[in-house]
Amino acid sequence: MRIWFRLLLLQASWNFERLQGIGFFYALLPGLKKLYKKDELLHVSKSYVGYFNTHPYLAPLVAGAVLKLEEERAAKPGDANIAIDEFKEMVAAPYAAIGDALFWGGLRPLVAGVALFFAVKGILWAPLVFLVLFNLTPMWFRISFYLRGYRQGLKSVEFIQRHNLPDWAIHTKEAAVVVLGGLSAFLVFTHLNTHQLPSWLGLLTLLPMILLSLVARKGLSTLLLIILTSICILCVGLFWADMAELLKI
Amino acid sequence: MITVDLLLGALIALVCGLDRVAILQFMISRPIVAAPLTGMVLGDPLSGLQIGLLVELLWLARLPVGAAVPPDDTQVAIASSVLVINLGPVLDAGGIELILLSLLITIPLGKVGQFFDHYARQYNVRLSKQVELAFEKGSLAMAEWQHLRGLVSFSFAAVATYAVILVGGLIVVPLIWPLLHQPLSYSSDWLALALPLVGIAVILGTINVSRAITLFCASFGMAFLLMWLV
Repeated sequence: MRIWFRLLLLQASWNFERLQGIGFFYALLPGLKKLYKKDELLHVSKSYVGYFNTHPYLAPLVAGAVLKLEEERAAKPGDANIAIDEFKEMVAAPYAAIGDALFWGGLRPLVAGVALFFAVKGILWAPLVFLVLFNLTPMWFRISFYLRGYRQGLKSVEFIQRHNLPDWAIHTKEAAVVVLGGLSAFLVFTHLNTHQLPSWLGLLTLLPMILLSLVARKGLSTLLLIILTSICILCVGLFWADMAELLKI
Repeated sequence: MITVDLLLGALIALVCGLDRVAILQFMISRPIVAAPLTGMVLGDPLSGLQIGLLVELLWLARLPVGAAVPPDDTQVAIASSVLVINLGPVLDAGGIELILLSLLITIPLGKVGQFFDHYARQYNVRLSKQVELAFEKGSLAMAEWQHLRGLVSFSFAAVATYAVILVGGLIVVPLIWPLLHQPLSYSSDWLALALPLVGIAVILGTINVSRAITLFCASFGMAFLLMWLV
């Protein structure tokens, strides 16, 4: 239990040299203290402060499995088959890639898109909708995967492979694109309605959006796109105001 | 009571800034949460909600993968909310124009967050050395403590970013408000529409899904036609 709570502080000392290394040692220490005595504890602890980096929501799975392996190693000292460092190295990077794609690349835009529907309507519950919808999945991962890792040890890798998480990441991203498409349509339609402009004009929005997405794909920064778009809109606004004034004259 | 508002903003900046990387990752650091939270604490949740709506999608495509540090949209959202709520009565201004002007000033300043975040992560390298030292002395408690010390540098990064964005906004917004107030009134609604759409376009361009544009167009078209015809 203490290890799980400590994993919430995993990245408190994140640094460019060892990334989450010290955090992983900090999280596991209560478990290690129960398994080893003084000098041995110090020796084992040292092996955990090196380089370590994975996704924070999947770190409990690694921690659970490592704890299980440590228990096995403490029960059978000198067993060369229990290679904890190799296990850590083997799973950390792939889990990081899976987590980044699933949570940051897929789930976050998907849930943000849903919550923004509420925000556009001025519903003050929008932040709560975002927090609840987003945290459901990571919390489930954090709790159940920690237990799964502890129960299965090395076999937890097979569990991840069986569930095809990379495929889920792709499906989540596709769902995010669909939701963001609906959100864009909703924003444009509401705007045109407010200004009593013909609705068919909204379909033209697709053109600049596709253009912007292609430019973004080429690597142009978001900040530059925002500045350029804002300047264009401000200039068109000024021009339009001048024209309206001239026509009145 | 501007000072109290600025300090309350700093407190929110600290908590949300830590959630961003160092602890929890419950996503209270996302603009859609942080800005309305600031607005609620300072007495104007609707302005916060509008700011959250405009900022949320802008840098969502920049993933915090490995050592990559995206611009600090959390502090942009919090500082903009504090600016709008406090400068509104002073400038006798309000509404979407002031929100947009504040954002146009604070969004570029979000890059400062990358600098401070880099600095914090670089500073924390020293903690690794301290942990080694603690092991040499045989003190696990000291090694544990080094980990928690990392929170200090992330806290500093969050509050410093908030302060720079806020001070920048407090200086620049009142200066250029008289100049840009009129032009903004002509185009504010279009600009408010454009900001989230630019964010969505950037996500679309970088999301790494095959046929993303086709999916997006189909979804956009279907939703638009439904709203139009029903």
